[in-house]
Amino acid sequence: MTDKDHSSADDKSLVRAAQKGDMGAFEELVARHRDKIYARAYSMMRNEEEAIDLSQEAWVKAWQRLKQFQGESSFGTWMTRIVINLCLDQLRRHKRQRAESIEAMDEESGGVERHMPVVTVNPTEGLERIELRQRIDQALSQLSEAHRTAIVLCEFEGMEYKEIAKAMECSIGTVMSRLFYARRKMAALLSDLKKPE
Amino acid sequence: MKQELQLKLQAYLDGELPDGEARPVAGLLAQDAEARALLAELKNTRAALAGFEADIKLPESREFYWSKIEREIERQSAMIEPERKFASPFASFRRILAPVCAIAILVIVGLVAIRQVDFSDRRGLEVKAEFVDGGALTYRDHTQGLTLVWLPYPAESEAALTDTDDIL
Repeated sequence: MTDKDHSSADDKSLVRAAQKGDMGAFEELVARHRDKIYARAYSMMRNEEEAIDLSQEAWVKAWQRLKQFQGESSFGTWMTRIVINLCLDQLRRHKRQRAESIEAMDEESGGVERHMPVVTVNPTEGLERIELRQRIDQALSQLSEAHRTAIVLCEFEGMEYKEIAKAMECSIGTVMSRLFYARRKMAALLSDLKKPE
Repeated sequence: MKQELQLKLQAYLDGELPDGEARPVAGLLAQDAEARALLAELKNTRAALAGFEADIKLPESREFYWSKIEREIERQSAMIEPERKFASPFASFRRILAPVCAIAILVIVGLVAIRQVDFSDRRGLEVKAEFVDGGALTYRDHTQGLTLVWLPYPAESEAALTDTDDIL
């Protein structure tokens, strides 16, 4: 690790230095992007400890694969994809551990969300930022892992349907349906149609 | 509202509908209040989620968080190094081994081929005079499993006796 001050360098220079083995430059990249990487892991996992572990694992993986980073996307985007893949792997392990039979049944039948009345007023209007954040936080926690993942990849990562389908190893139709039910359920939860348990 | 139409409205919101399909949906929205309401709900949810992650902060200090990453990187490097050290001489040995083996195989094949020709020559053309009677000749071809014996007629010994009788 070098004592060189990296705080004024841009991401590209830091990546180049880190690719040559400069741990100090890599530490600066970690410091700059750690909140974003952790936030993505937390959005997907809804568990603080797991999100910290997975985000740290993502950084270790990034260091090992740094030479493969060619700069086609920004470093932040590249890092985000690494942590998303790790979270998806972890969610698959979760899924194997317990069968998601109820969720599968919901997707086939259309689920209760399809028949819910449309929320006509904006439920988040007039809410303080902190209160809104808390409500969204609660609502996201009440979604199934598959529905939440679809929301996160679409709304936060800005992925297209086909990218989400590839990441989630399902069809585009399944992505569309998961996304629709997730959004409808979110709307209902945010408007207090369904009280958080 | 049919599920297909609901999903189309969502795809319209997400910009995932091709132009050909987006225009009829826009037309439907102008006429159908229920479709408009659903689209508004989807938009509100999207708006509520926008910027949500920006407020999530890592609950660990920079130093503590980094120290765990650094330790893991060092631990993994320490595991990889001995493997490399072990792998390195083996890899160079492997580089030499391939051509040496190829040459050795060629030499062995060559030697065997030469020996076989030599051997078959010797075994195939074996001519012996095995009988007491010096006039008999045996030809053995081992490769074809053939044995030929030439016996002079009359036998040289008989001929000799006849000759003696004649003398007597």
